[in-house]
Amino acid sequence: MNNIVHSTQLYLSFLSASLKEMLIYRLDCIAGMISQIVTQLVEVIFIWITFQSTDNIAGWSFQQILLLYGVTLISVGISDFCFDALYDIGPKYIRQGDFDKILLRPVHPLLSIIGASKEYSALGYLGLGLFITVSMLIELAIPVTFILIAKIIFFSIIGAAIIGAINTIFSIASFWTYKSNEVIWTFYRMYTFAQYPIDIYNGFIKFIITYILPFVFVAYYPTMNYLGMDKYLIWLSPLIAIVLWFVAINVWNWALKKYRSTGS
Amino acid sequence: MLKTMLELGKIHFKEYSIYKSNFYLFTLNRIVEVIVYIFVWQAIYMQTGNTGEFTIEQMITYYILVVSLSSIATWGINEDMAHSIRTGKINKELLSPMSYFKYYFGINLGEIGFAIPVSIATFILCAIFWKVIMPVSIMNFVLFLLVIVLIIPISFFIQMIIGTTGFYTNSIWGMQILKKSIISIFSGLIAPLTLFPEWFQKIANILPFKEFIYTPINIYLGTIPLNEIGAIILKLVLWIAILYLIAKIFFEHAVKKITINGG
Repeated sequence: MNNIVHSTQLYLSFLSASLKEMLIYRLDCIAGMISQIVTQLVEVIFIWITFQSTDNIAGWSFQQILLLYGVTLISVGISDFCFDALYDIGPKYIRQGDFDKILLRPVHPLLSIIGASKEYSALGYLGLGLFITVSMLIELAIPVTFILIAKIIFFSIIGAAIIGAINTIFSIASFWTYKSNEVIWTFYRMYTFAQYPIDIYNGFIKFIITYILPFVFVAYYPTMNYLGMDKYLIWLSPLIAIVLWFVAINVWNWALKKYRSTGS
Repeated sequence: MLKTMLELGKIHFKEYSIYKSNFYLFTLNRIVEVIVYIFVWQAIYMQTGNTGEFTIEQMITYYILVVSLSSIATWGINEDMAHSIRTGKINKELLSPMSYFKYYFGINLGEIGFAIPVSIATFILCAIFWKVIMPVSIMNFVLFLLVIVLIIPISFFIQMIIGTTGFYTNSIWGMQILKKSIISIFSGLIAPLTLFPEWFQKIANILPFKEFIYTPINIYLGTIPLNEIGAIILKLVLWIAILYLIAKIFFEHAVKKITINGG
């Protein structure tokens, strides 16, 4: 227990250091956020276009799909912000030899790396996600109670933890290939599958995003709960997050033993 | 000169192919991107029996071609130029006996050389999972390829213009993303342009981005009458000239203000 408290404290001090680093480049930060928002708006346009040909997708209305989209974006924003440095393990830390320095620190290397994340442009995702979520809740006339707000905050963080754990698992590829980004990115992108009602997919894809890479628990089941479509599956999310992190940390430690320095 | 350019392209291509895993991952990446689009349209087709003005087979082929073509249409020198400005490598490049534009065009060809096999592999793999339509005629296929070839200089000059802004800002990361989004919207990458509102299509008709994705695919599918293709090629040639001039003038202007970040 003591260990967890200590790790959390350390993580927070890493985080505040990176926040300070980010505030130096204020202009770059704002430009980044705006462009990330524009990228996401492209996806919103796609949803809008498809609804010109239909009034529902697998029983979900335009507003309901946008709500799912917004809720997903909140989790994605948080996870991009917190776990972005995983992409650097291969290209930045291992290939350039900085990883050896991190190993010498009296902190678990994974914590050191994750703590160095500062993907400030992800705050653009978070902002847009919050905006879409709130406006769709109002459009759909869902009463915004204190409980609902608490649920959205709690399950968004859990969702971010699920994405983060999946990224951590795939980041071990960098110990062999020295370039983790493409591997993580490919599997990470599968979260976009869960931005639509999963009934549109065939059994294979449903199976993958439910049991192998459980992205459906990031925002899909939570959103069904907010919409009153499903009551219970949402409560599996925290459990899955814990299991995934247990797996992630163990897999990562196992891979760490295989690490050989590039010596540069 | 052409030979040097091709050599440069070859070197750059080799840099990529050292990492064989790149090839598989990029291809897998493309397929992950297309899955959502195809399943959403299939769901709409099941419910309403139509997908815009296209048949479902045409729509699926459309998106498979989108992901296949998008690597050719959007890859290129992108970060390379900004990187050489940031690190000061640019002073060597400016001093080399080869013109700066030709040097980068060579590198650009290397990138495209890597994008083509990814495109073809993506298409073949997708054809295993979904039923794709073959080009309506050989003539259509040849014209489809011709439009793609004409896109390469257009895409290159746009990248040079964006790269040149790096002289002023040192970082073009935001501009890159903005460029990508503009291309996504106006090229028909997210959806066939005929599904967009009328006023939007008018803007798209003037801009060159439509020819990146929408036009070649519709030539392939045979939904553009062959007699309109002459005008399309003329439009592309005009845009190549316009963008070349802008890129050249902008670059000549910027390079006078250059400050080298002592590499």
